[in-house]
Amino acid sequence: MENFTFTFPATNQINRFAHVGVVGSGDLEVLIEPSSELQTEVIIRTGIIGFGATWESLIQRFFAQHDIAAKVKINDFGATPGVVKLRLEQALEVAADE
Amino acid sequence: MSRTVLKTSFVELSGRERAHSILDTHSYKELLGPQDNMESPHLEPQGIVPQSDDGVIVAKGTINEHPAVVISIEGNFQGGGIGEVSGAKIAGTLELALKECESGIKTIPVLVFDTGGVRLQEANYGVLSIAEIGAAIVALRRHVPVIAVIPGKIGTFGGMSITAGLCSKIIMTRGARLGLNGPEVIEQEAGIREFDSKDKQLIWGTIGGEQRTVTGFADVLIADDADAIKEEIFSMMTDDAVYSSRTLQGDRYDALLNLVEPEERLSADEVRLLWAQSENAAIEEKTTSLNRDNSAGRGQTWFDLLRGEFLEIGDIPSVRVADGMIGEKKVRFIAVVPDNQNRFPRARKGEVGLLEAWSIAKHVREAIKADQNSEKRAIVAIVDVPSQAYGYHEELLGIHQACAAAVDAYASARLEGHPVISFIPGNAISGAFLSHGMQANRLIALRDEGVNVHVMSKQSAARITQRTMEELEIAAKKVPAMAYDVESFEKLGALFSLVDGVEANSPEKKDRNIIYKEIDRAIDDVLTDHTRDLSSRLNSAYAKSGGRAASILVREKLKEQWN
Repeated sequence: MENFTFTFPATNQINRFAHVGVVGSGDLEVLIEPSSELQTEVIIRTGIIGFGATWESLIQRFFAQHDIAAKVKINDFGATPGVVKLRLEQALEVAADE
Repeated sequence: MSRTVLKTSFVELSGRERAHSILDTHSYKELLGPQDNMESPHLEPQGIVPQSDDGVIVAKGTINEHPAVVISIEGNFQGGGIGEVSGAKIAGTLELALKECESGIKTIPVLVFDTGGVRLQEANYGVLSIAEIGAAIVALRRHVPVIAVIPGKIGTFGGMSITAGLCSKIIMTRGARLGLNGPEVIEQEAGIREFDSKDKQLIWGTIGGEQRTVTGFADVLIADDADAIKEEIFSMMTDDAVYSSRTLQGDRYDALLNLVEPEERLSADEVRLLWAQSENAAIEEKTTSLNRDNSAGRGQTWFDLLRGEFLEIGDIPSVRVADGMIGEKKVRFIAVVPDNQNRFPRARKGEVGLLEAWSIAKHVREAIKADQNSEKRAIVAIVDVPSQAYGYHEELLGIHQACAAAVDAYASARLEGHPVISFIPGNAISGAFLSHGMQANRLIALRDEGVNVHVMSKQSAARITQRTMEELEIAAKKVPAMAYDVESFEKLGALFSLVDGVEANSPEKKDRNIIYKEIDRAIDDVLTDHTRDLSSRLNSAYAKSGGRAASILVREKLKEQWN
């Protein structure tokens, strides 16, 4: 198991807590919580070791495109980068829901 | 022009979506959901990524306006395995539903199973939880029907198949499976000739939804359609028909077992015929050899020592029963022992098999009935059980249901006010311990190297969790619930006492007197206690000081969120 934490400056507030996905084979769980601080904090726990660089570039690119002030937790069970991106988008959609 | 209405697959839904699909849309209120972040504290130290809800979704609400609570297990997280948090979520919810029922609000519990049973990474926490879940279901059934849905993909296995067997009604799809020992475990323990875990036809023919429904182990076979499943649940909730729980139908299952000749391998179709026949079959007693198996074990030794001069009243050699006395107190002793002539070869070494579990249930029920209007005798389970019986016939003929009957009998005795005490001089292992011992008000064990409490042999546990034996040993050092020795088990707080200075293998009169005293003390403790549930295990010093920290916290949080 490996842990990573990334933080980025952010400005846009989100509406509500969001949760998607399952910590199951090839999948992951994403939790997004609104934050009053002007930053995004992403905490990742993954069962697959040795993909730190892949995570970093994926998360950086995603939050460069999506400016949200939030606490993001990712619990990963071997999702591919494509699946990670889809889950993050899905979570944002839920979080933006009124 | 008619339009085809698309059906929603229930099987393909996630655990949470399943709960949503059962409850009325606007009534859904999740308890201890992802936002509460109540994850298992035991996984991360073992290098396993936890999940925010620990794989169990609890949602309160209504089903067609009837109050209900849905407990749905997410099979994709750790195979739906029951750990300390997920187990406490299930048990705690059922305990709250029970309180609500006692106060007059008939909240009906619906369990959606998708689980391999105990989560092996949390081992004994799973067993303790499953005992508590079973205890709550037996108590709840006195007020409301408890409804089980087994949709697949996994089905329900291990201790959780016993849990399903305790439910009032079971709904299955064709793809679902219901069995005590999973195919891989039987293959590991009994060999590939006994069960080939790669043979899918064999698996579904033995424990699949259709077979289970036709042979009396499930009530309704349903299409994989979310709406149909909700309607079926609703009709079971509102059905006023008086029905008898499977666990009380020992005569019918006895009749079935009597029709079987285990020397020949039975086919799935033959069992269907036999089940139909068993409805009208008069039970003719099989002539069981009365030659006692001389391979003494601790169970035999202690049973003989504790019963003293009192007569035996058991009716099969592998389940010994006697009514004795401890001081002024009436006591029924029950022990499961080896019988090398056992009709079922997989149960010859002292395992709890089909005959054993049904026989335990019968003798406990007998005592309940006999004492209905008089002093409730104590029931003492003498526990030295290597495992449940692993075998093809065992699964085919519903060993999970037999175990459920034993669990139900002990739990019912406890609820009726019989002090139920377990005395553990030997091994207390997995399904066997759940069926014979775990429902006791109080547990007494000997501090001895030969006393082990665990879930599965190390070989099988390694195979199922895909770890090496060395990795398992290391993990056991971090999580006491994974260890096999009784001193680690003691730290979980479930024991009433761990007795020192007793000769476990060849006990004498002085050892007997020590144990008599302990049992007597345990009975008194039960009689002065006003609860008849298993709560003493969570109130012990060990439990409170950390042994069951998560189990206690989960229950507190559930209570806060319940209303």
